[in-house]
Amino acid sequence: MTTAEAAGIVPRARAEGRALLSEVEAKAMLAEFGVAVTDTRLASSVDEAAAIAAELGYPVALKVVADEITHKTDVGGVELGIADADELRAAAGRIHEAVAAAAPGVAPAGLSVQPMAAPGTEVILGITQDQQFGPVLMFGLGGVFVELLKDVAFRVVPLEPRDASEMIREIQGFPVLEGFRGAEPADLAAIERMLLQLSEFAEAHPEVAELDLNPVFARADGAIAVDARIVLTPDGE
Amino acid sequence: MPVTRERLHRTLNPEVVAVIGDKKASGYSWLRSLQTFSGKLYSVQVDPNEIPGIEELGVENYASLAEIPERVDFAVCAVPRQVAPFIVQGCVDADVGGVTLFTSGFAETGEELGVELQDKIHEIAAPSGLALIGPNCMGVHIPRLGVRFNRDQPHGVEGEIGFISQSGTHGMNFSLTGAANGLYCSSLVSFGNGIILEAADYLDYLADDERTRVIAMYIEGARDGRRLFESLKAAAARKPVIIWKGGQTEGGGRAIRSHTASLASDQAVWDAVIRQVGAVAAHNLDEMVDVVKATLLARRPRGNRLGLIAMTGGQSVVLTDAFEKAGWKVPTLSDASYAQLAEFFNIIGGSYRNPLDAAGTIGQSPEHLDTIFDILDADENIDAVAMELSATFMARRWREKPEEFDRLIGSIKRFMGKSEKPFLAALHPSHVEPEALEARQRLQQEQIPTFPSFERAANALRKSAGLAAV
Repeated sequence: MTTAEAAGIVPRARAEGRALLSEVEAKAMLAEFGVAVTDTRLASSVDEAAAIAAELGYPVALKVVADEITHKTDVGGVELGIADADELRAAAGRIHEAVAAAAPGVAPAGLSVQPMAAPGTEVILGITQDQQFGPVLMFGLGGVFVELLKDVAFRVVPLEPRDASEMIREIQGFPVLEGFRGAEPADLAAIERMLLQLSEFAEAHPEVAELDLNPVFARADGAIAVDARIVLTPDGE
Repeated sequence: MPVTRERLHRTLNPEVVAVIGDKKASGYSWLRSLQTFSGKLYSVQVDPNEIPGIEELGVENYASLAEIPERVDFAVCAVPRQVAPFIVQGCVDADVGGVTLFTSGFAETGEELGVELQDKIHEIAAPSGLALIGPNCMGVHIPRLGVRFNRDQPHGVEGEIGFISQSGTHGMNFSLTGAANGLYCSSLVSFGNGIILEAADYLDYLADDERTRVIAMYIEGARDGRRLFESLKAAAARKPVIIWKGGQTEGGGRAIRSHTASLASDQAVWDAVIRQVGAVAAHNLDEMVDVVKATLLARRPRGNRLGLIAMTGGQSVVLTDAFEKAGWKVPTLSDASYAQLAEFFNIIGGSYRNPLDAAGTIGQSPEHLDTIFDILDADENIDAVAMELSATFMARRWREKPEEFDRLIGSIKRFMGKSEKPFLAALHPSHVEPEALEARQRLQQEQIPTFPSFERAANALRKSAGLAAV
């Protein structure tokens, strides 16, 4: 997606009355700020998805794209680790059936296709708007750590490099990132860089009410956002 | 026209003060509280029934601000809310430096008349540059000048704490409990609804104020969070800032669709702000008093390793527990220290591994305490020293033999005077509380940071060590 196309995303969503951006749109906007995201493309048909997958290279992940669906996994809208074109067609069929059953009446805009990223420690980075302080950034370990233990740190935008460094080290689960029990340590500099990029993103996009990068794979050699969700502020705010 | 620094300075360093609308029904509490004011105090009251009582207090009364023969630097307005806009206009016309509106019943009520009156006051005050404090607040307390809003507040004493409070009660409680702990304010402002001057304005002022060494604030919410953030950051880079955040602001009522938004509670964001600006959080009055005390009276530790002196074995154990739970380490001492201690330490009923269970040794010869302090001062494994002062065992004896207590205080002062390492004392409440209280007050006079429990001492030192500026 080009810069001009990325710039058109929010106006188009507004025009269509959408508050939730698609994963493809969210990633395109983030890529503009240098945030490392998996190359994610929209396919309007199964054939197109197969063509994209062939170009990106297997294995790929396939996800439903529909404005009405906030949590894709909850409705069976996500298939991971698809190895070839046959599996892709089968996976697309399963998504179609699952979404039709879980969210009847929803007409998905298509499927997103992305290469499977090499796994790392799952972390979550996010933005929200605080009533008093404006845009606020969050960092935490992903999965159960964020959902159950709420082990996260916040900072008000704009962040200084020191803030990014401190918030990563502030969470209880920080030893996990340092390479707990012989695991490979995560590239903390890459996470810090991503936090600072998000700080710039938040300053440039006050119309972004909420952003989750969940998960981001924090690996020994960099960090990459595998999923992204952007919710816009109500139109006119 | 914004309120200038000069205008606020004049308000907070007044030579002439006027109270408008004080009355018998409230016991003339404003005028009585301000009897200690070092400058000239006037009253403004038009009700003939109220005037004799005012004159009995020896205060000159006038029918209006305009009639007062001097320019008023600071006025207290305690009139009913409907009259408040006229008084504010009077302050503007008479070139009063600043006014505190004790009057309440404005926007905080949520009713139409209250909101209207508040808007009207804002309309009058905003273009004038009048330093308007409040409404719905207790205003200003300056012990040095005897400016008070409560008759128990201290006067005639220099203070070093700038206290900013959104709540009158918490401001007053800090001034009283602080004074009981030997801690006094340079300026205390309770700003209530803060329609003209808000927390950030007072922060900016106190950050620049030479008399203020520590800034403490009680806050519930900010109208302009970004500005407060910037002011906090600037202030905390120059002076220790301790923030007590009360209450929880409700969310915006928007349907939340992300983990990030669902986790960003008011408390979580304030905690982040406090960290980010280099301030520290206190969560109640006691903690505020403790952290301010440690910040003002104890040096800043270079590391997190404590040398502990206790009076019994059992206390050695729980003293260690308290400090370790608060994140401190209680390490073994250096070989050189042990070699020195072995020469004189009484190990029958005592021990000196660290903690030093030292009652027997000190009892044998009080000079031993000086030696212990010297050893801990020189020991490279130790960054700070905390000591149990046992009221249970000693308070009665201290009263009977004050020379022993003098000797103990002398040793502590000697150590505090020569060592770079912070010192803290813990003196628990005890069964001989009148005697313990005497001891506590004496320690306080001597500027020895003393806490009522090991836990509070450990926490106070930890928090004050976390400040960006000390």
